[in-house]
Amino acid sequence: MALGDPHARPSGPHRAHGLHSGPAAADVPPFAGDEVLPCGRLLSRVWEQARDAAPADDPRTASCPHCREAVEGLATVNAATRALRTEDTRGLHALADRVMSIVGAEVRPGRLLPLADPDRDLRIAENAAAKVLRQAADTVHGARAATCRLVPEGEGTDVRVIMTLAAALDRPLRDRVHEVRRAVLHSAVQDLGLAVSAVDIAVVEVLEQEPLLRPGFPTGGGG
Amino acid sequence: MTERTVSPSPEGDLLGRDLPDGLLAVRAAEGDEDSFAILVRRHGSSLLTLARCMLGSPQDAEEAVQDAFVSAWRRLPEYRHSAEFRTWMYRITVNRCLTMRRRRPPPLSLDVVVEPAAGDAWSQPARSAEQDAATAALSRALAELDVGQRICWILREVEGLPYKEIAHVTRTSEPTVRGRLFRARRSLQEAMGPWR
Repeated sequence: MALGDPHARPSGPHRAHGLHSGPAAADVPPFAGDEVLPCGRLLSRVWEQARDAAPADDPRTASCPHCREAVEGLATVNAATRALRTEDTRGLHALADRVMSIVGAEVRPGRLLPLADPDRDLRIAENAAAKVLRQAADTVHGARAATCRLVPEGEGTDVRVIMTLAAALDRPLRDRVHEVRRAVLHSAVQDLGLAVSAVDIAVVEVLEQEPLLRPGFPTGGGG
Repeated sequence: MTERTVSPSPEGDLLGRDLPDGLLAVRAAEGDEDSFAILVRRHGSSLLTLARCMLGSPQDAEEAVQDAFVSAWRRLPEYRHSAEFRTWMYRITVNRCLTMRRRRPPPLSLDVVVEPAAGDAWSQPARSAEQDAATAALSRALAELDVGQRICWILREVEGLPYKEIAHVTRTSEPTVRGRLFRARRSLQEAMGPWR
């Protein structure tokens, strides 16, 4: 990976030459305190390249004693850095638990929606219902719900479901969206007891190749 | 109907583990805690590493990351996805660390320098005492860097972020990031001279 590094571009004429001259130092302004090596390259660029590119991708540094010396000058720092890089996950679980307990105390239930039972005046919080409906959409292979809003319609108990979706393109989108709509509608009516007037679905994102999802087996994709 | 697995069981969050950050962030913004919990677990450990390098102490780092996540949860409904969730989280955490440092400037004693993660001691060959001392020296040198240089260096060398993302996190430009990185490398190289 050599993002933003001008030296990462293959520069034909310089290829396969040991010592190099030319525009390396001249075509880019040096940083404050930079240094031009005897071979003409800037110290800052040699360091960048050494850190950003695999050694095999940088034959110029490998074959130039000045560049090599400059890179070796950072070896001690690099060795000590490795220990800092080691991720320490010991405190992570406790930390996640603390965060989620604070988050849990700050629930955002959203508006209350009527269930299809006007006599008893039953209601459900929008976000609780949205969560169930997202999960229903997620059961469709190659589909993942993004946003889900529920909007009361008219004077009665009707509710409109408005959902955005990420979907894979390995089969016709129309069929998949149809299947999602059916799953959402079924869950809204059967699981929640909502009176659904419509389920609007917009596909807003293409899902990368679906990992192997088997019924009843959640993937372990997130590690 | 196939695969009817709708249930508010703990599996609910497992089901989302393959989801990309953007989708989880959208769900979390609508109040879905399970999606947020996945984001916390996914990014917590690299943010902890960042905060540990910034602040020196594991306890302070945990506090900073906890505050950063809680702040993110509160701000998610207004989060406009102009940046990747990860970039946004890095920015919140860096800012949180800076605030904490202002509140209590770190005394630079040996026991507050960044402790190398000890959790891996079982899985790696024991590091030599010399290597530990070199790491402690690097941490002290890091603490003395200009704060802008320190942030850029940690994000690049420890977290492995590309220049463009570092520029987003720090609200600067890529040339600025690269200039700061160079000066940081230079200072650290000088500080580590005795260890060569």
